Amino acid sequence: MDKRKNAIALVALACAVPAALHAQFLIEGRPVQIHGFASQGFAYSSDNNYLTMNTSAGSFKFTDGGVNISSPVTDKLRVGAQIYIRSIGTLGQWHPELDWAVADYKFKDWFGVRAGKVKTTLGLYNDTQDLEFLHTWAILPQSLYPLDLRAVTISHLGGDIYGEIPVNKRLGSLSYTAYAGRQFDDKYGGFRDVSLQQGRSRAGGTGWIAGVDLRWNSPVPGLTVGGSWLHESAVSGGMVLARGTPYTFTKEDQTAVFYGDYMRGNLHLTGEYSRNPRTFRFAGVPGLQLLRQKGLAWSTSVAYRVSKHLELGTYHSRFIADANKDWSALSNHIYDQTVTARVDIDRHWNFKAEGHFIDGYGSINSAHGFYLAQNPHGYQPKTNMLVLRAGFNF
Amino acid sequence: MRRLTSLVFFAAGIVSAADIKVVANPSVRVAQMSTDELKRIFLATDTSVEGGHVEPVFEKGGATHEAFLKQYLGKTDAALSIYYRSLVFTGKAFMPKMLGSDADVLDYVAKTKGAIGYVNAAASTPGTKEIAVR
Repeated sequence: MDKRKNAIALVALACAVPAALHAQFLIEGRPVQIHGFASQGFAYSSDNNYLTMNTSAGSFKFTDGGVNISSPVTDKLRVGAQIYIRSIGTLGQWHPELDWAVADYKFKDWFGVRAGKVKTTLGLYNDTQDLEFLHTWAILPQSLYPLDLRAVTISHLGGDIYGEIPVNKRLGSLSYTAYAGRQFDDKYGGFRDVSLQQGRSRAGGTGWIAGVDLRWNSPVPGLTVGGSWLHESAVSGGMVLARGTPYTFTKEDQTAVFYGDYMRGNLHLTGEYSRNPRTFRFAGVPGLQLLRQKGLAWSTSVAYRVSKHLELGTYHSRFIADANKDWSALSNHIYDQTVTARVDIDRHWNFKAEGHFIDGYGSINSAHGFYLAQNPHGYQPKTNMLVLRAGFNF
Repeated sequence: MRRLTSLVFFAAGIVSAADIKVVANPSVRVAQMSTDELKRIFLATDTSVEGGHVEPVFEKGGATHEAFLKQYLGKTDAALSIYYRSLVFTGKAFMPKMLGSDADVLDYVAKTKGAIGYVNAAASTPGTKEIAVR
């Protein structure tokens, strides 16, 4: 409890002090900016407990925040870093982490390099998935952006090359990002719970990733379409709890994402599709040597800003744990239909109310919100959930 | 007459592209640019023009600001805010200068190398140069 209070105080201080300092100042004649955000949520579900919270009783254990500092050292070189902290059910557990820390050098407008701990560009929202104030939704489509797996997808230790190439006025422009680096396991994330519910503990693992994102900013005003591809090769392990013996595994994982985003006036439409075949090879786990899965996920959304202060929206999100198995099985899919109202009180404060109507609960390997640890008596077929979330940023 | 018309529409909160003037610090090396070039500068995609660094300067709100966003960037103020915050909070850009009035924009642009802003066409623009947008 003291740890929680300290963390809340730290986030509050981190938000309050820079705001008081007006968020921008000069060092050696160069501007330095400090920005931050924090959010507090409440989730109440009808049946199953979701996202590692005790939602069926109503849970306020839904807090996150971050603060960043950045400065253009020269006209071409920019440096910055962000600290992030969260406690969402059993996820995060108030352990602060370095979210990103980059040096970014832009040689030309069509060619720049970022190095350090860099946010991973994958699909529409991977790099902004924990910044609730940027999105209409209180919770992003969990088929594509599961809160459980945030820390293992959000960034990599390595480098990006990036740029935007204008084609011509009739064809718009192409934005590209290509990257490679290392990703690290999350001791406080969903894979920990997936391993535990199968009788194994998990020690921290690491992996190499390489990927590319290409998006076409079309000449149709507001229309962007794109695709991302990522390959991951990882090694991890831990203990088989019943035997007290060690095990290891390797993972080969490929993710392909295709997406479209259309924003015109107050209307915002999106569509996104992802497929994720992966192969695990185990050593030291009785009866399990090879596991192949082909995950599928997609979502579509519509949002409309009714006024300066109010935006309404809905999305439909579908997750198939393994496309090679029966899609209709409740233990192989999670479908989620939502309705959302977002109220922007001013530029800094927002409040969201969101209804989720969820069908299915996914497989024991899913790491997509439903775990036996919070549902020890098994799952109900459907979950209705109300989420309230207030956010602040500066 | 044009100035009078601009003032009347400005007072009514109706501003069109014809009532907006794009102004730059005299160090900016061009006198005209396309709407696409202007858009890329104000969305932080392009940070240089003809090899010289440029810095976009926004107004915080108001009719001129709204008209500029609609005409040249194709975004609402809310969408622009989300766009820049998504860059800033992922380490991909620096938050641009946002000033409260035409006078503030003109003052900053006149004093800051590479700065480019926009003001109502009726404003007088000493110390800056006007950029023709094709």
